[in-house]
Amino acid sequence: MAAAKSPAPLRILTAVPVCDGHDSAVTTINIELARHGIEVIYLGYHQSASAIVRAAIQEDVNVVGLSSYNGGHIVFFKEVVDQLKKSGNGDIPVFGGGGGTITQADERVMKRQGTDRIYFAGTPLADMMAEIKRAYARAAKPNAKFKGDRALARAITMAEGGTRPPGAFARSASGTPRSTKKTFVVGVAGPGGAGKSTLIDELTSRFLKNCPGGRIALLANDPSHPDSHGAILGDRVSAIYAQDDRVFFRSLATRGSLTGLSAAAPAAIEILQASGEFDLILVESVGVGQESDPFGIFGGRKLVDATLFVLAPHYGGLIQLQKIALLNGADLVALNKCDHPMAHTAKAEIQARLNQNGKGQILHATTAAKHFDPGVDALFAAIAKLGGLDTVRGGEKACWMASPDA
Amino acid sequence: MSQLGKIADSIDAYNAHVAAEVKRARTEAKFAAELRAKWAHLRASVEMTKSPAGTPLPRLALPDTDEPGAIAEYLLSQGFPGQFPYATAAYREMYLDKDTGTGEEPMRLFAGLGLAEDTNARFKYLNTHQKSLRLSTAFDGPTLYGLDSDHEGLLGKVGEGGVAIDTVEDMGRLFAGFDLTRPDASVSMTMNAPAPVILAMFIAAAKKRFGPDCIGNLRGTIQADMLKEVQAQNEVIFPVDASLRFLCDMIEWCVPNMPRWYPVSISGYHIAEAGATPVQQAAFTLSNGFTYAELLKARGVDVNAFGPRLSFFLDCGLDIEYLVLGRVCRRIWAIGMRDVFGANTKAQILKLHTQTSGRSLIAAEFQNNLTRTAAELMLAYMNYTNSCHSNSADEPFTTPTEKYALLASHGQSILLEESGLFKHTMNLFGGAPGLLMLERQVEKAILDVFREMDTLGGVIAAMEQRYQRSKIQESGHRIETQIYSGERPIIGLNKYISHEPMPSVPLARTSPKKQRLQVERLKAFKKKHAKKAPDALQRLENVARSGDNVFGELVNTVEVCSLGQITACLTGVVGKFRPMV
Ligand code: B12
Ligand SMILES: Nc1nc2c(ncn2[C@@H]2O[C@H](COP(=O)(O)OP(=O)(O)O)[C@@H](O)[C@H]2O)c(=O)[nH]1
Ligand SMILES: [Mg+2]
Repeated sequence: MAAAKSPAPLRILTAVPVCDGHDSAVTTINIELARHGIEVIYLGYHQSASAIVRAAIQEDVNVVGLSSYNGGHIVFFKEVVDQLKKSGNGDIPVFGGGGGTITQADERVMKRQGTDRIYFAGTPLADMMAEIKRAYARAAKPNAKFKGDRALARAITMAEGGTRPPGAFARSASGTPRSTKKTFVVGVAGPGGAGKSTLIDELTSRFLKNCPGGRIALLANDPSHPDSHGAILGDRVSAIYAQDDRVFFRSLATRGSLTGLSAAAPAAIEILQASGEFDLILVESVGVGQESDPFGIFGGRKLVDATLFVLAPHYGGLIQLQKIALLNGADLVALNKCDHPMAHTAKAEIQARLNQNGKGQILHATTAAKHFDPGVDALFAAIAKLGGLDTVRGGEKACWMASPDA
Repeated sequence: MSQLGKIADSIDAYNAHVAAEVKRARTEAKFAAELRAKWAHLRASVEMTKSPAGTPLPRLALPDTDEPGAIAEYLLSQGFPGQFPYATAAYREMYLDKDTGTGEEPMRLFAGLGLAEDTNARFKYLNTHQKSLRLSTAFDGPTLYGLDSDHEGLLGKVGEGGVAIDTVEDMGRLFAGFDLTRPDASVSMTMNAPAPVILAMFIAAAKKRFGPDCIGNLRGTIQADMLKEVQAQNEVIFPVDASLRFLCDMIEWCVPNMPRWYPVSISGYHIAEAGATPVQQAAFTLSNGFTYAELLKARGVDVNAFGPRLSFFLDCGLDIEYLVLGRVCRRIWAIGMRDVFGANTKAQILKLHTQTSGRSLIAAEFQNNLTRTAAELMLAYMNYTNSCHSNSADEPFTTPTEKYALLASHGQSILLEESGLFKHTMNLFGGAPGLLMLERQVEKAILDVFREMDTLGGVIAAMEQRYQRSKIQESGHRIETQIYSGERPIIGLNKYISHEPMPSVPLARTSPKKQRLQVERLKAFKKKHAKKAPDALQRLENVARSGDNVFGELVNTVEVCSLGQITACLTGVVGKFRPMV
């Protein structure tokens, strides 16, 4: 299905500064922005300047909106502005609010230091929305000056706008490919709430540990609101291991596509692959039903090298299990939430279901919500093996154990 | 397994029991006679006093009835003040101006700014305007998140919104000059994820000052309520199970060792300030409390040992439900604790701290905030809160400056000591038809939420499904849309606007020079203990890995390690919290 024809929505990154958990204002602002047709990439509260800048670059947003309450805003906003400038991304403006804690005198200083504007306490939401749309809507154009992740990010933005990048553009986007190494692309599908995003984050930690020097890209597809066309893309909030320069994370709103992926996902995969930057790409589809096939494994164009199907013990019993088509085609299957009491029965039922396929599929039992879960270690090992990833093996002990990082 | 359904049922069962007893009082002559006799005895126990104008007044107002059904209804449903089910009050005499009364000064003014010595000075200033020694501490962002002041990228945050505490030495400076072992002293600390570390620093600093035997005399409260952190305040460092373990370790340690200390303050304030309705606030707070009771029971701690050490903290705004919220919560807690957890009298009483609503205070024409806070204080006292913080009028702009903090403090004194509303007679309002109606409506709505959460598997399961967070966010968004549509009139903001320019209010901010001083102090501390710190951290790590109680070890660790070092060590063992939207 083609992407919706309306002009590309505004993309805004919102976040709350480090050591600040006041998220009530920003969650309200997020809802309002999405209702006004804006795609909000929400990073969360207690976010460092460098995490905000990294996300702004990778998401190629029109503007960064910060909601700050715990003081120190003059220093913090400046830090974000400076880091954006220093990294060659000074075209991304920064604005924000903080109720009464940011005074008009503060705003004057902050403006001098590069902050675009501050919304004071008592600004009506409707005025704010109208103004934001007016001030920050601009069409994305290719920009040869962009480097590194921003160049990749812009190429993906162009693809989202319907401009299919020629291979050469994608490659030039990140300069010369770092290596000609093969990128392994895994599509991750499964019902909403099964734990796909959580599992991907845990797999990311295993990658960072076991593939030093390598890079991983994550594409998170999430639904747009069918009426407003806006979206709140909140996957970054929980992606704690994505806070690393070796991780490229991009949120994609489906913009009316009903395939389980953004219409730009194939192009985005192509762009990331062509860059030669990444050893592994994990693509998360939106929560899918029994018959969906987001990655084209049963026909059409196959978008990925392998598919990981994730489900949780609440699939609704044997009969429902029979109907899940992807269980026939998935290269890897994970039963997540194995901390759940129903997991034991589920394991047996699913393994039996896989045995019917006669493809030697094995079931990985994972508990993504727990750090250091050995089931996730084993799943990562299986992915690494399938994709021929270049991993370190520490001593004779298997290397898949992620160690906690403080 | 969730107990919430059972608890909701126990309240319904208790209400049915009251109805049956009322009926029996009206039909059984013997029972009626017993009740009349008891009632006569109770009334006779009430002393008399006089207003300054000479009007004779009873010290306690009771329903003016001799009808056995009404007596039964009052005694069983509301409860004589200080008696089950405690709807009226936790104690018989609350704010009475008697020298001999159980009367406790409720004032707790939350204060924290700059470095330890700045907050110490603020404490001294505030305490010259109070009867008893009350030190309630607000910490800055880095401390709340368990980070050291020298952590990369934090400098601007040091000493903002609260006091910067990195080490046991800072803790010593914070309370310098106060005799914390005085019987009327009470120290509160609004500290959550790092609460065990901060309380350990407090204990270590107190031992240095007052000797090793002082611990049993220390009185106060540390917030430490991690469930509401996940749901509303967003100060979580470790995964939920580890956060709850460290909290329970601390409570388990405090119960025998610190008999005057409240190691947790189960808080609805943050839930409400994040946007929750009063009913959601009460339902989430009480259900969090019952969850702690379950967790502690499961660890083998006796309900009658930990029950009296739990305390509660509610918000009080201007919405009508606040007229009765404290009363309803005390009643539900008492019945649930008695009938589901088998708690004895002392373990049934919900001890309540209240803070007036910060969110109701707005920047536009901010002097109106004095009136708002005064009205909220009235509601809080009508609920017989055991302690109370009143917000300053400059709340929307800054950590309170001296001038407005003092006005906030005097607001409490004016209502309790100057006005005649609370000091002569206890229970002036209880039993009023409007209160009774509201109590029933609010209680029913709370039980509905309990039952909904029960079907989700209880508090923790609901939390994993984002139930509380999504409800709170939804309500928070509704408040803002109601404000900007005019449905919620806010004087000076959407009604009777004067169009005055935003006033320039003095701000309490921490200078970069002070922030650097804090970093220097921390560096000196780290240098001084560079030899001993690694071993201390290793011991802590071993205890954390072994699954033993970490709190006992923390009391040693803090002697030579900073907050940030300890946080990093524990994160190394249990990993980081994965936040949700
Ligand atoms: C609600 C609140 C809380 C709640 C937060 C719940 C939550 N999850 O958000 C709770 C109770 C948990 C809380 C805790 C604390 N708080 Co507080 N809190 C407030 C309060 C009362 C209201 C803020 C609010 O959300 N308002 C509602 C929003 C929707 O309206 P608004 O602020 O007017 O914002 C408007 C615009 O500015 C704009 N806007 C805001 N942000 C953005 C962003 C973008 C991108 C855009 C476009 C617009 C925009 O939208 C709004 C609509 O017009 C303020 C005081 C006050 N009355 O303002 C203190 C206040 C912010 N808190 C303060 C402090 C100190 C704390 C604590 C540090 C206390 C402590 N030491 O423990 C903790 C820290 C918590 C943490 N984790 O960081 C201080 C900050 C002081 C300072 N900077 O000098 C304040 C000012 C109170 C005070 N005077 O002491 N707090
Ligand atoms: N109990 C449990 N909860 C999990 C587990 N993995 C994920 N979750 C929770 O399930 C919810 C949905 O997870 P998410 O990763 O967003 O699912 P997705 O919709 O498939 O991407 C979140 O609240 C997770 O914390 C697990 O292994 N056990
Ligand atoms: Mg997901």
